[in-house]
Amino acid sequence: MTTQQPGTGAAAVTFRDVVKVYHPDIRALDHVTFDIHRGETVALLGPNGSGKSTAIDTMLGLRAPTSGKVLVLGDQPAAAVTAGRIGGMLQTGGLPEGAKVSELVGLFRQLYRDRRPVAELMRLAGIADLGDRRVERLSGGQAQRVRFALALAGEPELLFLDEPTAALDVEARRNFWRSVATISEQGTTVLFATHYLDEADANASRIVVVNHGRVVADGTPSQIKGYTANRTLRFTTPAPDPAQLLRLPGVADVLVNGDAVTVRTGDADATLPALYALGLPVKAMEVGGGGLEESLIALTSEDNRTTDHDVARNSQIMERVG
Amino acid sequence: MASFLRFEILRSLRNVRFIVFIAGFPVLLYLIYAKQHGTSEGLTVAALLLVSMAVWSGMGSAMFATGPQLARERQSGWMRQLRVSPISAPRWFGAKLVQGLLLIIPGFVLLLALGFGYGHVHLAAARVGALAAVLVLGVIPFCVLGLVIGLVFDGQTAQVAQMLTMILLAFLGGIFIPWSNLPHVMQHIGQVLPSYHLVQLGWNAVAGRALHVTDMLVLAAWAAGLGVIAIWRWRQESTTA
Repeated sequence: MTTQQPGTGAAAVTFRDVVKVYHPDIRALDHVTFDIHRGETVALLGPNGSGKSTAIDTMLGLRAPTSGKVLVLGDQPAAAVTAGRIGGMLQTGGLPEGAKVSELVGLFRQLYRDRRPVAELMRLAGIADLGDRRVERLSGGQAQRVRFALALAGEPELLFLDEPTAALDVEARRNFWRSVATISEQGTTVLFATHYLDEADANASRIVVVNHGRVVADGTPSQIKGYTANRTLRFTTPAPDPAQLLRLPGVADVLVNGDAVTVRTGDADATLPALYALGLPVKAMEVGGGGLEESLIALTSEDNRTTDHDVARNSQIMERVG
Repeated sequence: MASFLRFEILRSLRNVRFIVFIAGFPVLLYLIYAKQHGTSEGLTVAALLLVSMAVWSGMGSAMFATGPQLARERQSGWMRQLRVSPISAPRWFGAKLVQGLLLIIPGFVLLLALGFGYGHVHLAAARVGALAAVLVLGVIPFCVLGLVIGLVFDGQTAQVAQMLTMILLAFLGGIFIPWSNLPHVMQHIGQVLPSYHLVQLGWNAVAGRALHVTDMLVLAAWAAGLGVIAIWRWRQESTTA
């Protein structure tokens, strides 16, 4: 360890017991602890106002934590930023009027010591055809891609992306994530904040779920989904009796709309045989998976946020993650 | 820092409003008033106005390098984007200062050409050099003033604050109308303003008189005082914003 350069053996991000208080009543971050290891692609997932952006701003040195320890690449965030080891794409990052895209990209390549070749940079960000365009004439999606290029310009060891695809259309979004995968393969550690649940599922190797300034779950996408293990059964049956269906094993709730029934269950393997055992004329059965969306709602819903039960379940997940 | 400076100058030169303000406006005023007869402060009107307009142009250039543009870019998030890049705050300000100084050149050169050609002003090279030196060093407090305006006000408000500040500084400092024609109260106010002392230095330089240390000290005091406010606002914003 002693022969290594400072920071090269350290975690990409160390977040220890971090608290950020804006007003005495508002805790944007409430004793948040997690590590991000080199090479990981981590999604910071949570609803608006959950503390995602505050956490990212803290890691970028834009805000100082009220208490706790934040290290980035083994160093103070501001030092890592000044050394050009970090790339950041912020949620609100306007572009300077009067500049052309190529000039802006050129400037950022020069501000960083490691310069990614222009052609590669423009291709990765999907702005190869925008070089001569003035920044004030860019569409929202184009501006967002330019900001992505600026974040990549220094070939950073660690890349922060705060709600990176908000203004992108479907195709641009797909290209964006393909580029993120490319730079991840090149060894860059990536941390992105999103409330697009499908994006976290599809693009992260690990998901940290935050709500009300706390980490409520931390695991692989399949662990997060398995956490609630809810399945949705949809079928039709004449004159369904909600009370009867609600008594079936594992059933959490029942929604009846004419002949159409939707049953949410925590144990489909038990619910299904019991349902057929009732002898009802059940038709058009569909079993839906527990998507990340359902998991997130379960994880962040108000009523199980602060119970001991909830804390116990979270710690189990933490153990499984290691 | 050189690449950042080049980038900032290039996009300033594309800003039509800025060019009109620092070059078009003083040139127009010069064309209107320079032919008047008479002397003041020991100079012909043509020479006096050359200095006044060069000072106006320099103040504008210095304040526009930061000022409303900084306010807009704080709001748009561009300043945050810069803060997560390797450029440090002192280097950023250093570049802004040099930008403000370099952008004096187009207005100054135009006014000199007009002064010589149209106003028939005769100035030795040494006096032109002295005026240039006065301008370059003397606009530093205005650059810091722009920084304060850009950090204290937001977007559109900064634009208005900037214009009002410039007009007040110009009137009370004796740049637009002779200072001795102002009411007494205004003269007293004018006498503490950096614009008054800068234009005094300029006139003395052009007239070949000695430059007063008091003028320089007042300008330095303004730069230092405004600098403290700017640093305080900057820190406040970087810790709580």
